[in-house]
Amino acid sequence: MNSKGMVTSKGRSAVRCEEVQVAIKRKPILSRVSFEIPVGSLTGLLGPNGAGKSTLMRLLTGLLEPDDGVVELFGRPAGWERLGELSFLPDRGQLPAHLTAGEWLNLASGIYPDWNKGREAELARELGVYREKKIGTMSRGEEARLQLLTCLSREAPLIILDEPFAGVDMISRERISSAVVSEMADGERTFLIATHDIREMEQLFDRIVLIGGGTIQGEFDVETLRMSGRSVESCYREVFS
Amino acid sequence: MLPMPPIRLWSIEDFQIDPSRPLYEQFVEQIRAMIARGELEPGTRLPSVRETAASLRVNPTTVMKTYQELERLELIVTFRGQGTFVTQAEEAIRQTRMQLAKEAVRRLEETARSIGLSLEELWELSREKE
Repeated sequence: MNSKGMVTSKGRSAVRCEEVQVAIKRKPILSRVSFEIPVGSLTGLLGPNGAGKSTLMRLLTGLLEPDDGVVELFGRPAGWERLGELSFLPDRGQLPAHLTAGEWLNLASGIYPDWNKGREAELARELGVYREKKIGTMSRGEEARLQLLTCLSREAPLIILDEPFAGVDMISRERISSAVVSEMADGERTFLIATHDIREMEQLFDRIVLIGGGTIQGEFDVETLRMSGRSVESCYREVFS
Repeated sequence: MLPMPPIRLWSIEDFQIDPSRPLYEQFVEQIRAMIARGELEPGTRLPSVRETAASLRVNPTTVMKTYQELERLELIVTFRGQGTFVTQAEEAIRQTRMQLAKEAVRRLEETARSIGLSLEELWELSREKE
């Protein structure tokens, strides 16, 4: 993270939602959702299951349109045509089992115009991904690392990870966290990570957005929380229990 | 050319972190103590912000703030293009040891006061045979 980048990115939002409403089959899923994520931040989107996290992710990635309200990425409306600006790791997403990691990466590098081969090689080393290994024979942790590699080899300025740790072993978690941190330090990429795995991630976040019952329950700067003697975990408990 | 001084690579196990206090403060305190007791020798090269953040798995901003504060305390110095090093200035290290000693005595005085003793009385009492 260079100081120049910090200045130019000051005050800009990577994500902005205002008064967002979504109902599915007349059932309200999100109501009056408003929050912002500044450029260059590593924000945790935290909340219990069924809080509306996945619906929110679908809005940001353009898979769903809000019934009302504004969803913006870098100051312009979200939508499928903005997919070039974001790299999304879906929860329980599946890669083609019959391919090896190397074959998959070749395929992906052809699909994404912003693929960076040099970054792919460096991340493969950092994450411990072996090109010869067949995806169908990988453990959940190995596959999660390959998914993250796919996500981060692109140069998209916004990275959204949906439950990157679900079912992932400890060593893979640590490697995933380290890779995310190095990516952040390198440039002014913005990360939004939805998780209920607070302990693993709380030292990584600089900002948290708490969502529950389809609406935003709070937005906090993590160091400010700590200055008042609260941890991410205790704040989460206060809000949700 | 002189050989490059060794890089000290951190692991999160080198630190005791309380998640309900600002993280950079805790890193500053603990690295300061490592320098004061000589565990981090003068001239030791420290890893970059990126490497430190990745190995500790903390936000890079936390590491930046930690390094900035240690620089302000003149305990580490950054040379452009070469990296960040523990200071060679013995006076800065001596000052730190003195400050740490004063802080320790202040805490001990508080403990003494909480049980109605002066620092000297506390010391005497603790040395009496049971």
